Amino acid sequence: MAQQRALPQSKETLLQSYNKRLKDDVKSIMDNFTEIIKTAKIEDETQVSRATQGEQDNYEMHVRAANIVRAGESLMKLVSDLKQFLILNDFPSVNEAIDQRNQQLRALQEECDRKLIALRDEVSIDLYELEEEYYSSSSSLCEANDLPLCEAYWRLDPDTDSTDCLSAPLLASPEPSAGGPLQAAAPTHSHAGGPGPTEHA
Amino acid sequence: ATYSLANERLRALEDIEREIGAILQNAGTVILELSKEKTNERLLDRQAAAFTASVQHVEAELSAQIRYLTQVATGQPHEGSSYSSRKDCQMALKRLDYARLKLSEVARTCEQMLEN
Repeated sequence: MAQQRALPQSKETLLQSYNKRLKDDVKSIMDNFTEIIKTAKIEDETQVSRATQGEQDNYEMHVRAANIVRAGESLMKLVSDLKQFLILNDFPSVNEAIDQRNQQLRALQEECDRKLIALRDEVSIDLYELEEEYYSSSSSLCEANDLPLCEAYWRLDPDTDSTDCLSAPLLASPEPSAGGPLQAAAPTHSHAGGPGPTEHA
Repeated sequence: ATYSLANERLRALEDIEREIGAILQNAGTVILELSKEKTNERLLDRQAAAFTASVQHVEAELSAQIRYLTQVATGQPHEGSSYSSRKDCQMALKRLDYARLKLSEVARTCEQMLEN
């Protein structure tokens, strides 16, 4: 608790230190620049000899130029700190970003589900046609023992002739003990129950 | 287009970074110009004015940014996230993948039947 209360204060001090750094760096840039310009002026000869004066000015300019560069770099660091602070603590934009991302993801999810449902409808119709084809074809007769779908069908009524067997899968599908494929097909049949028989008729 | 608000501020900060570079560049140009035997005063004036303006602009901008941060910062970490919707979305994608897998199985079965 104490730590939580201490946090805002530290943020405050952090921001104040940012402000101080900004002021210091800008002041340093301006001062050093002015001083360099001042040093550039050739002064009257004093007790110090020309050569010594020139050397001193040269050295001073180097130091001041380095100071300007240092201040500039410090400003860069400040900007990068501000960026970090902005990313971590700018709640309005963070909220907005999260909202946008949420919306994006939700839209994607809804699209996926919509497509899945469309796919389900299509596949249920196709499966129905496939099964119809399968039961009315000769392959269902010769390989009846291989496939559980067929097995269930044949077990239910073995003596149906080929014209009746078209509607038989629909009757057989609610059978709970049926094999894997039939179980998978059962919900699609119940779903496509409406259009199924009409198509068939 | 996304994250426009935060991006705008970050972009403003990037501009400031560039401007800091321009400040140093201007200062260098001014001193270089001074070192010449014959100085081009117009150029000197222009560069010096640009230097001062840049410095003031950077200071004002950064002050504004810091002021804005003082307003929005609460000291508490942000607790919102998009994890739940991301998870939902991933689940939806997985559903689709699974459906595709099953469909390909069906297709394979069909092809096998056709071959036989």
